Amino acid sequence: MDTHHSHLFEVGGAKLARLEDLRLIKGEGRYAADWALPNQAHAAFLRSDRAHAKILSVNTDAARKAKGVLAVLTGEDAVKAGYVKPLSMLTFAGKDGRKASIPERPVLAHGRVRFVGDLVALVIAETALQAQDATELIEVDYEDLPAVVSPRATLEPGAPQLHDNVPGNLCFEQEAGDAAAVEAAFAKAAHVTKLRLDVTRVAPNPMEPRACAVAFDAASGKFTVHSPVQGINMMRMQLAAYTGVADDKIEVIARDVGGGFGQRSIGYPEYVALMLGAKTLGRPVKWVSSRSEGFLSDSHGRANYIDGELALDKDGSFLGMRIDWIADLGAYLHPAGPVSPMRNPVTCLNGVYKTQALYGRWRVALTNTVPVSAYRGAARPEIAFAIERLVDEAAAQMKIDPAEIRRRNFIPADAFPYKTPTGSVYDIADFHGVLDKAMKLADVAGFPKRRAESEKRGMIRGLGFSTVIENSGAGMFPKDEIRLEVHADGSITAYSVSHSQGQGHETTFAQIIGDGLGIPAERIRLRQGIGEQGLIGNHTGGSRTIVGAGTVCSIAAKKLIETATPLAAEQLGVEPSQVAYGHGEFKSTASNRKITLGELAAKKPLVVTGEGKFGSTFPNGCHVAEIEIDPQTGVTEVVAYVTVDDCGTVINHTIVEGQMHGAVAQGWGQIFGENIVYDPETGQMLSGSFMDYTMPKAGWIKDITIAEHTTFGTISPLGVKGMGESGCTASLAALTNAMMNALRPLGVPPLDMPLTAHKVWQAITAAKKGK
Amino acid sequence: MAKITLKVNGEQRSAEVEDRTLLANFLRDELKLTGTHVGCDTSQCGACTVHVDGRAVKSCTMLAAQAEGCEVVTIEGLAKNGKLHPAQAAFTECHALQCGFCTPGMIMTTAALIKEHPQPTDEQIIHGLEGNLCRCTGYLNIVKAVKHAAELQKAK
Repeated sequence: MDTHHSHLFEVGGAKLARLEDLRLIKGEGRYAADWALPNQAHAAFLRSDRAHAKILSVNTDAARKAKGVLAVLTGEDAVKAGYVKPLSMLTFAGKDGRKASIPERPVLAHGRVRFVGDLVALVIAETALQAQDATELIEVDYEDLPAVVSPRATLEPGAPQLHDNVPGNLCFEQEAGDAAAVEAAFAKAAHVTKLRLDVTRVAPNPMEPRACAVAFDAASGKFTVHSPVQGINMMRMQLAAYTGVADDKIEVIARDVGGGFGQRSIGYPEYVALMLGAKTLGRPVKWVSSRSEGFLSDSHGRANYIDGELALDKDGSFLGMRIDWIADLGAYLHPAGPVSPMRNPVTCLNGVYKTQALYGRWRVALTNTVPVSAYRGAARPEIAFAIERLVDEAAAQMKIDPAEIRRRNFIPADAFPYKTPTGSVYDIADFHGVLDKAMKLADVAGFPKRRAESEKRGMIRGLGFSTVIENSGAGMFPKDEIRLEVHADGSITAYSVSHSQGQGHETTFAQIIGDGLGIPAERIRLRQGIGEQGLIGNHTGGSRTIVGAGTVCSIAAKKLIETATPLAAEQLGVEPSQVAYGHGEFKSTASNRKITLGELAAKKPLVVTGEGKFGSTFPNGCHVAEIEIDPQTGVTEVVAYVTVDDCGTVINHTIVEGQMHGAVAQGWGQIFGENIVYDPETGQMLSGSFMDYTMPKAGWIKDITIAEHTTFGTISPLGVKGMGESGCTASLAALTNAMMNALRPLGVPPLDMPLTAHKVWQAITAAKKGK
Repeated sequence: MAKITLKVNGEQRSAEVEDRTLLANFLRDELKLTGTHVGCDTSQCGACTVHVDGRAVKSCTMLAAQAEGCEVVTIEGLAKNGKLHPAQAAFTECHALQCGFCTPGMIMTTAALIKEHPQPTDEQIIHGLEGNLCRCTGYLNIVKAVKHAAELQKAK
């Protein structure tokens, strides 16, 4: 496989970096709001303007009479339809064998609203503006209830209770590791470092707002749902579970998806309410979310609140680590929402270290806030942040070099495959190699000189890093399938149910298939989100697509050659053993005759489906951040950022670098500004627009130095490990460690994210006063 | 209702629209030019950027009625005679797009930016992109693409 070059394709005189680009740069992409169904009506939702209240009555009379209004649905309709129970994937047993308490969620709130943005009514009208206008005519009589938005306060006795079947607002509790071993480790420790490590609530904010258009065909009982997805199967499964409608009566269709980051993998109640609306009305119904609605209803991310402790011996060897973790899931549980913080941190609880004694307690808490689900990394960045912050603080407290303390504790390169204390098997990695390369690229040796130079200018300089690992690869569906269909002109259509939201699957998959068949990637067209193909496969999430669907592209290409060989032999009048394949054609070794894949397909349909199932892979890496703070203002500039990652085989370097840029920017955003803030008294969101919420902008990141340090993964025959999320996983801790490296000498205690200029300035000022 | 006549991508268009119709919605819903995207409701994201009489304008910040008599160019009208505009070519060549949703607005902004600053400095580029949000790329390749677009424009 040609794995060492970026791929540029010539199409019509332009050099395309990716095969999907041409339509996107010409404005010919088709996103969810671009679907227009014949005879469609338009929908708007009335949302709760309070955090917690009883609904005493909903009067829709005036709205129903308003111009253009076709239907108004409320919680009563949702309950009547039985659309009250979302799918929950939190099915495993927790502490003492107890299962989770899952709250119900009628797709339109019934009896009670539980967060600002909760759905109260659906209005359908001839135009979107008419529907929106009519929502304002609905009179809701509320009785306010006390609200709780703090994930720690919600678990305290006496906190307002959200759901009758979730006592104490605690949905689920689990433990992992060996509590007794950890206690013994701490008892003999020479040093213990304790930190509060809150990873704030952020908004994924893909640039395309959510939208959904639903058509219902009464004759067949079939729904067609157009919405942004990360994979059609994942969406269909959730919509089917919510409605009780059979899988094969729901077709999910998507083409271009404007960013995802986890937010698109949910079968939202809005979509289900629209299904009810389309069925009730007998016409297709379309809804397009505004950004303001999005802040109040798209899934939020992170919101994991962690207390961590690390025990070390006198030489800085890690003896044990203890974690107490509260996952704030908001007012209701999204289907997979609580699964990520319960599963991913356990899988990599030891990080890249040989720490033997590990113990964690996890609690799933509910608050009067927007429901939380996976966001790029899905609790992988959180556990990496916790470990790497503890390690760095411990090193500083014990006056050990932060690189040295890591080297002392790394799992050595000759110890793989390595079984971790929580039962994972890290197949292969080279942590020393990754760190060494990053240190060199970041010129860590030259840092003291640069720091002194900054000091001369009155600036404060810091350098920090993180060495992290994360789990990818394994998926929830029984296998991943890719179908290849050969056309008479020799071109190939590949079908996949894993959906790109910007990751460039049309290019990467085409490269893998093209490589397998020896034909140019441009000859292969990937089609995603085509439900009628009936393929099984995972959605795109957890950085796993290259491991699952990507690897299967190669398997499918092999299968195509195997399947076509006897057909070619028959046509060439020889035995299959006398046929050689190369570059799209079969040649007879007995004569000079040949036949192409396209010629075979012209005679008889040539279609194969490749499949595969893969376990966990473990991408890993080291990021080094160098920052400079202006103590007069608290303004921080990241002056250098280096990433060295081991994501196994790289198929397309340009795309991999792009993924790294984007993920690091999201980590950067979270550390320096992004934060969803609620008023603690009223539960109102204070950061509900792009005017209030800090989105990274051009110029924030000036440069990133990206390098690879590859060990070929053993789980996929391609050697790939996945990499879409590693930039988030590594950057939270690297940036915070750099900031604390700068601020610690001034006497500044560990700070919580986001490290805004204001917070940094205040901390510096307070430290100066304290001295 | 307002009756408007304007030129869109070189073509004369007339329509009757509700007074409150934004230019962005007029382009998308009435003219079916769905390449102009709407990414927010506070005029921050710039996904809806088009050219109005040669200047980059967020089409959600003006009413369709205000475009009366104007010449509007959208992303669909940027390529000429089947040839990509330098900004379009630069965005793909620099891998400055991932999901592609902010891309039309970014490209329209870039096209106006390199017209105003044929050799833009980093500062001019960053200032010029202030009103355009992207969530996928971290902007590094977008900044590169603006520079590259300027080079391609010069070479033309």
